[in-house]
Amino acid sequence: MSESPVFLPIRRLAELVRARAVSPIALAETFLDRLEKIGPQYNAVVTVTRERAMAQAKRAEQEIAAGRSRGPLHGIPYGAKDLLATSGGIPTTWGAAPLREQRFDDDATVIRKLEEAGAVLCAKLAMVELAGGMGYRQPHASFTGPGINPWRLDAWSGGSSSGSGSAVSAGLIPFAIGSETWGSILSPAGYCGISGLRPSYGRVSRHGAMALCWTLDKLGPLALTAEDCGLVLEAIAGADPDDPSTSNREWRYDAREVTGRRFAFGVIKGVTVGCEEAVGANFERSLETLRSIGSVEEVELPDLPWEAVTRTILQVEAASAFEDFIAAGTIAQLTAHEDHHSAYARDAILAKDYMKALRLRGVMAREVDRVLSRFDALVGPGRANVSPGLDQEFRSAIRGSAPDLMGAIGNGAGLPAICVPNGFGDRGLPTSLQFMGRVYEENTVLAAARAWQSLTDWHLQHPPGSLATRPS
Amino acid sequence: MATDAQPDHDAEVERLFALVRDRYGDRLTPAQLDDVKKGVEGIVMAARALRTVKLRNTDEPFPPFVPHRGRP
Repeated sequence: MSESPVFLPIRRLAELVRARAVSPIALAETFLDRLEKIGPQYNAVVTVTRERAMAQAKRAEQEIAAGRSRGPLHGIPYGAKDLLATSGGIPTTWGAAPLREQRFDDDATVIRKLEEAGAVLCAKLAMVELAGGMGYRQPHASFTGPGINPWRLDAWSGGSSSGSGSAVSAGLIPFAIGSETWGSILSPAGYCGISGLRPSYGRVSRHGAMALCWTLDKLGPLALTAEDCGLVLEAIAGADPDDPSTSNREWRYDAREVTGRRFAFGVIKGVTVGCEEAVGANFERSLETLRSIGSVEEVELPDLPWEAVTRTILQVEAASAFEDFIAAGTIAQLTAHEDHHSAYARDAILAKDYMKALRLRGVMAREVDRVLSRFDALVGPGRANVSPGLDQEFRSAIRGSAPDLMGAIGNGAGLPAICVPNGFGDRGLPTSLQFMGRVYEENTVLAAARAWQSLTDWHLQHPPGSLATRPS
Repeated sequence: MATDAQPDHDAEVERLFALVRDRYGDRLTPAQLDDVKKGVEGIVMAARALRTVKLRNTDEPFPPFVPHRGRP
């Protein structure tokens, strides 16, 4: 094979594998080598799962040679955020030092589904400890070190799916699975200049995944393109009796051509307030491009405390999910100094206020659905800023120190969104654009993002030097 | 009482912080306690924002309760 597999989209890799122009074993070896040799440069990897990967790759090779295809992920390497349970003695650390030896007997449903689709698990990827649920506010919040951004080694990768973002961005793996409670897929996708899809709540089973907030947690793909995200979502979506939150609605990726399709986009009034200047400027330029494929209309939402609603629910559920961990004082063994104590404050949330947040969540879901019913997607900046520095305390919507209206509503109401690159800002770091749709309308936001990527080439740009096989 | 029928902000922060300090104060440094107090201030601020919204009696929690029935 003359074409390097690094930075090829899944669709192209799948063609090469199916045509036997590239062997799944060679593909696995290429990415395992990159994970082992380059992964440490970005603190992207917790465990390289070489043994399991080679067994899966050999099976894929045999099946393909025998004429059996499991679909577009057959023989394609991937990495999983280290909150997804994996059997076979592979640790599942949740990014937390006290749990670095934790192991499970069974695979998470997502891991099992990807195995059934023929994908090859090459690594458990680094993450912010306990998916950021203890209130971290700077990047040094994982026992594997701060997630490092492939675009600048002194910048953060984003979190909490830190390794899922940096590994895809650096070409260490074609796609990864991350999780989002509030921002944990969109943040690393946006900061690392890749595509990240947060599915609707209930679209993907969380069975076998660490629970941070039962009514907010979602699992989804991070990949090079929106189309890749669609291909991966098809493999992992679906009802699961082991996760009662999953929807019975079947979902297939709609890969039909988007050229010529017209879209209706909404922009929430004031969505760029508080954004960095370059983020706002790139967003305005993006709107000009989007006007070539559809309408763009400013919309207003009722003036309600959307961020307080989602933040209150998140803080209460996280405090309950880790009640024993917090009460025993085990949080003092976490890496981030602020994670040693921040969660204690949540005992001050009154039940009456939590219930009010749950009741307002219904208002939120109805209001945003009413607004979204007129549009294919609401668009906004993926992140309000470019990635902060590694030693910089960052602002956070979860802590109430940064605006993230779309994140609060999207996660609070369980809506799908995709984050895609749309330029560069301060310090040469990527900026991003998000498309957020009605619940269960992943195909609509994917179509909009694919149309965007058919008009732009930001997703084709990769960090300097990232094709090197060793750190330079 | 404040004009919006909510307790005074600072007094509420102090009362709730006292609860947290009583529970966990023995395991925290003064600097950590200060940080926890800032967390309580944020929680009170969010709670007061939630309380300003008037809802109808029938606005129930979302997602609504679903009863469980096992097999058969």
